[in-house]
Amino acid sequence: MTGSRHNRIFDGVDRATVLLYVLIVLAGCVSIVSASYEEGAADLFSFSHFYMKQLVWVGVAFVTAVVVLLLDDRFYHMLAYPAYIAGLLLLAAALVAGKEVNGAKAWFEFGSFRVQPVEFVKIATALALARVMSEYHFSISRAGDLMKVGLVICLPLAIIVLQNDTGSGIVLGSFLFVLYREGLNKWLCIPVLLIAALFIFSFLLSPMTLLVVLILVCTFSEAMMNGLWRSRIVFLAAVGLAAGVLYLLVGLAAPGRMDFYHALLAATLVSLVFVAVYAYRANLRNIFITMALFVGSMIFLPTTDYIFNSMLKQHQRDRILSFLGIINDPLGTDYNVNQAKIAIGSGGLTGKGFLQGTQIKYGFVPERHTDFIFCTVGEEWGFLGAMTVLGLLCALILRLMRMGERQEEPFGRIYCYSVAAILLFHVLVNVGMTIGLMPVMGIPLPFMSYGGSSLIAFTILVFIAVRLDASTRQFTLNTKY
Amino acid sequence: MSGEEYVRMRTLQVVVLVVFGVIAARLCYLQLFDTKYAELAKANALRREVLYPPRGEVYDRNGEFLVQSRECYDLMVVSRDIDRRGFDTALLCSVTGIPREKLEKELRNAAAYPRAPRMIANYISKEDKLRFDECNFRGFYTVYRTARQYPRKVGGNLLGYVGEVNSSMLRRYPEYRPGEYVGVSGVESAYESELRGRKGVRIREIDTHGAIKGSYMNGRYDTVPEPGKYIVCTIDARLQLFAEELMRGKVGAAVAIEPATGEILMMVSSPTYDPDELVGRERGNHYVEMMNNKRHPLFNRAVSAKYPPGSTFKLVQGLIGLQEGVLRPSDRHPCREGYQVGRLSMKCHEHASPVDLRYAVSTSCNAYFCYVFRDILDNPKYGGAKNGFDVWREYVESFGFGRKLGSDFLNEGNGYVPDRAFYDRRYRGSWNSLTVLSLAIGQGELGCTPLQMANLAAIVANRGYYYIPHIVKRVEGRDSLDRRFYERHYTKVDPKYFEPIVEGMWSSVNRDGTSWRARIEGQDVCGKTGTAQNPRGRDHSTFLSFAPRNNPRIAVSVYVENGGFGASAALPIASLIEEYYLTDTVRRPELVEQVKSMNIYYPAYDR
Repeated sequence: MTGSRHNRIFDGVDRATVLLYVLIVLAGCVSIVSASYEEGAADLFSFSHFYMKQLVWVGVAFVTAVVVLLLDDRFYHMLAYPAYIAGLLLLAAALVAGKEVNGAKAWFEFGSFRVQPVEFVKIATALALARVMSEYHFSISRAGDLMKVGLVICLPLAIIVLQNDTGSGIVLGSFLFVLYREGLNKWLCIPVLLIAALFIFSFLLSPMTLLVVLILVCTFSEAMMNGLWRSRIVFLAAVGLAAGVLYLLVGLAAPGRMDFYHALLAATLVSLVFVAVYAYRANLRNIFITMALFVGSMIFLPTTDYIFNSMLKQHQRDRILSFLGIINDPLGTDYNVNQAKIAIGSGGLTGKGFLQGTQIKYGFVPERHTDFIFCTVGEEWGFLGAMTVLGLLCALILRLMRMGERQEEPFGRIYCYSVAAILLFHVLVNVGMTIGLMPVMGIPLPFMSYGGSSLIAFTILVFIAVRLDASTRQFTLNTKY
Repeated sequence: MSGEEYVRMRTLQVVVLVVFGVIAARLCYLQLFDTKYAELAKANALRREVLYPPRGEVYDRNGEFLVQSRECYDLMVVSRDIDRRGFDTALLCSVTGIPREKLEKELRNAAAYPRAPRMIANYISKEDKLRFDECNFRGFYTVYRTARQYPRKVGGNLLGYVGEVNSSMLRRYPEYRPGEYVGVSGVESAYESELRGRKGVRIREIDTHGAIKGSYMNGRYDTVPEPGKYIVCTIDARLQLFAEELMRGKVGAAVAIEPATGEILMMVSSPTYDPDELVGRERGNHYVEMMNNKRHPLFNRAVSAKYPPGSTFKLVQGLIGLQEGVLRPSDRHPCREGYQVGRLSMKCHEHASPVDLRYAVSTSCNAYFCYVFRDILDNPKYGGAKNGFDVWREYVESFGFGRKLGSDFLNEGNGYVPDRAFYDRRYRGSWNSLTVLSLAIGQGELGCTPLQMANLAAIVANRGYYYIPHIVKRVEGRDSLDRRFYERHYTKVDPKYFEPIVEGMWSSVNRDGTSWRARIEGQDVCGKTGTAQNPRGRDHSTFLSFAPRNNPRIAVSVYVENGGFGASAALPIASLIEEYYLTDTVRRPELVEQVKSMNIYYPAYDR
């Protein structure tokens, strides 16, 4: 009986996803061979080589995939909160007792084997998010529910940032993708993206410009949401007028005590009281969310300089500055990115051929089997090879979204979208940094970068989605009989 | 699915595709359109080792070595490859003979660019290099170079020297790399492209630690260095050596030309220097010493200095007069210890009067040539001294004065012949033949290089034409030199007018003239003394000569600054040079002694 049940489960498995997964993992193996192959090494199949170790991990990952498929889908539903809490505890434990690698205190070490809890926290957070958002009375347009969602995302994010592993933390930001799918007002999504951009560029702008841009962005998005344009323009004019009057009055009374920036800031903050009253009376609750966004940004933005200078490590600061083109120093900070670009750029259309990439083989690309694994693809297989790998990843992501759309339960849909969002973000940042589109953040390329914990975590992440999908399909298949 | 949800799903799909589209576009640009990365990848993984060819050698006209190329090595270091623990500084110093402070300083400098090969010492001898190879210092290696060596130790300014390329040279000639050697002056720079040969290259694959992984494409793009071509100079090394000995202690120049070919047989710029001093590790110190020497040994007076030609210029004056028809050889002019017109007078020494052309040349009569010069300028044919002056100047230029002769010396000077505009400026337009009378006897504003004066001697010897003087006889692998060296250049004076002047020069030596001490038994020497006044101390002494009178084999010009009368300093030197060249011996040892012990005081240099 059990045997037939298993068969039926495997019937429901989305074969295209599994095929894409296997192809990407194999491409990863080939790349790791290239990246760690040493000419004239005595024993090609010795387990001291990275590629032999990775082969073992691939085996473990395949077994894990099967195990994930064998478990009941209700189990994942049930597991969501305990796993989330366990994840938070693990993160906290790593913060207290973990090992520091590259300045991030985010690792556990067992012998020669290192695990980064954040890899698994991504899964737990995705599950928890799916659970929260699939509750019966959940409505994303209700401020309270949105706060819950924010809490689920921000709790692990806060700990990860404390671990000094900002790169991995930002991955959780990709859940905005899911929130949008679940009906989050796009006039909340867009200001969030804009503010994120402002955050990156804040040290390029003066506080005055920032404040004005922020007021305009928030007012504008709120107006887009509620559509009451005239009163919003009146509001802006009133704030501007108040700021001007305040500036003049203080200027007359005590010259030089207050500049226009502070006048505007004061006028805006005072106006928030009126806005709150107005929102309560007019029963426009989403104004509170915009206000929270504004106040949150205000707390962050003036302190961006402080964060930038004191909270980020020197090498992170340099990476961001280098990415933004503010400092240019090919042998220093830029060195990694430059070498990566050289490796990829020298690949040309068809690449240099398997094991023929000089930049990879002779070690010019740093971290060439882990974070910069994509350089191997670009150099040895050229534009065609790189496009093939990207095509596979893109197909996998679109497939996951497709799977999400055909779920009966919101839980499955939200989870599938979460997986797609996490993968998309990883690909964008990882590939982006090797070609100079993104600053260097130490996050791996899914399924391809060397490393057991990352491979297994991504395998679990994807195969839970496949399992959830399989039971839906199994259900539809069964009803058809 | 509601319509709203459908839009959101589509939007997100578009977002995914846009993200991948941006990445694909960037990859497309990097991999397909921007070719700089392929170059950079090569620069990363390939090390081009330059193989230097030996520099061409230089022979004298008789096949004797003037310049040889000696094998030597540069010591290079790649800072990051140094074995920090096992490296013994003291041992390296003792093996290669580099002072310890210098080595430490160079290593500190090299540490600034840890991957880049950097030269830390040059001119390491072959023996030291072999000992260095035995010690096997990690991170250090040697590169084959050649250093110049001068067996005869002659011809410093003439041969020039070799130095590192400077930044302006690097900008103009991209084929040179910093640290390479290039001919800086003399023959070395004039024939740089022949002497330097062609560099070879060996391309190796290296890894990120700089370790060599093998040759690139099995050496398909490697090239073998091509040695520089040898050069045969027109110089006679023994004559050169003899002349340098005679000129020692004097400031000036001596040039000898073979009139029939224009080949420079000997060329001394005094003071000269030992060319070996500008090679090797002490080169810099010696160079600074020479730059600080007030007598400027690095200044090639023979081709660059401007001297007043003095009485030797009377030859030109006479020739122009004859050609212009204002002078016949039999014309006589009076000379009562000089030439007087109104308040102006031009002194002359005591001699019989009146004189004809032959005797005027022979005894170097100032007055005679003042008449000739004024007749040329005031020729009624031209209507005015200024027009006459233009005609005169054209003649002078045709003798090679006031312009570069076009020899193979890159630093050849123009000399100076003033033009009409110059005098118009100086005298505000009002001047005549009397105003510029000092030109008649080669004084005034005239400036000639010793090479131009030797060329004048060759012109007279050839009776009216010259070949451009040159220093190189033959270049390996070439049938001929530049065409300009094979062309006869005629002056504007007809050859038939030269004989009376030659007659005058001959009698100056052999009958009744100022040059009697230049007489050599069995050789019909012709000569003309010159004594040039100058504001800085005693008169300059100069002598022009060629011999024998018919089919001359050598034309000489000697110029000794502050040497007094032409006959006292320049003449004996020129005469001995001629004697040595024509007869291979010197039968007047007492004259040699006298020349060598001559003591000339140079207030302008030795303050």
